[in-house]
Amino acid sequence: MIIRVLLLLALAAIGWFIFLRRNKLPFHIVTMFGLLGAGAVAVVVPHETDRIAQWVGVERGADLIIYLSIVAVLFVLVHYFAKFVEIEQKLTQLTRELAILRAEVERVVPPATKVSPSPPASPPASPRPATDDVSELPQ
Amino acid sequence: MHPDRHDTWVVIAAYNEGAVIRDVVLGVAREGWSVVVVDDGSRDDTADCARSAGVTVVRHAVNLGQGAALQTGIDFALRRGARHIVTFDADGQMAVEDIPVLIAALDAGADIALGSRFLGTVEGATRERMALLKTAVMMSNRMSGLELTDAHCGLRAFHAHVAPKVRMVQNRMAHASELLRKIKQSRLRVVEVPCTIRYTAHSMAKGQGGFQAVRILFDYFFRAAS
Repeated sequence: MIIRVLLLLALAAIGWFIFLRRNKLPFHIVTMFGLLGAGAVAVVVPHETDRIAQWVGVERGADLIIYLSIVAVLFVLVHYFAKFVEIEQKLTQLTRELAILRAEVERVVPPATKVSPSPPASPPASPRPATDDVSELPQ
Repeated sequence: MHPDRHDTWVVIAAYNEGAVIRDVVLGVAREGWSVVVVDDGSRDDTADCARSAGVTVVRHAVNLGQGAALQTGIDFALRRGARHIVTFDADGQMAVEDIPVLIAALDAGADIALGSRFLGTVEGATRERMALLKTAVMMSNRMSGLELTDAHCGLRAFHAHVAPKVRMVQNRMAHASELLRKIKQSRLRVVEVPCTIRYTAHSMAKGQGGFQAVRILFDYFFRAAS
């Protein structure tokens, strides 16, 4: 059946991605491939899942898989929402620190208001030594 | 002119307010208050316009929202040794004359003073907007447990030592409700002061509509419950 081929290909693709990023904990890898293997079994012999389903009180294996998937998706959603809020707060903190720091620097070195296309006729003498020029530093 | 005013910092959060920010800032600075403008990652010349008025500009590299911008301004003011902090809108709908009234309320013993449109005057608002605002006041009082005549008028003043108690973590508009909740939690002495709000075509265009209320409620209940 076409659907079995498609599902097995999808599982194999996910497996391939996990394999490419395999610099994680061995436990992580084993768990992920275990889940993928279980998925493959459920695709090849779907009626075998009925027994597990009936054992926990669900009639069909396919129904059990859908219920579990919904719970898993909700869990992932909540997890990533929490992560998102956390990252947003870190972004706020960073932006705030940077903004205040830049304002403090601008007290000492006022920002250039306009960028003039041509340099002024007589540039003001720089109090800094020439070595401060970045272009003259060894790369 | 007013030597006692320099340690009162007026925090103005601005986002794409290049058209009006200079006049607003000049109006406040002329009265002797210290001003910090927080440019919340504007795409126009808000920062340059504010700088041209001769005040400090703190600029967010990315747009975060009004709550985050106000908190940045408050942090900056505290670093500069502010004694009182005032939050003021950038769109020109508030009156500078209301600031000394807020400060007087603080001097009289309040921890935090809030401007109230409904104790004062509202100019240029449509009937629909007034109805929307009244509904917001009712809902806001229900949520915060406070009994106020106005909900989220952006004009506020508080002592520096109160600032840590009303620290806002809501980046966008839900910070206003968050602030009221924290006032209640910390049992701060809150005083309402009549203020004048002049709605202009400019400020109305940038104001909060009923639709945004859904977003604010979502933020308030599901984000950053600290």
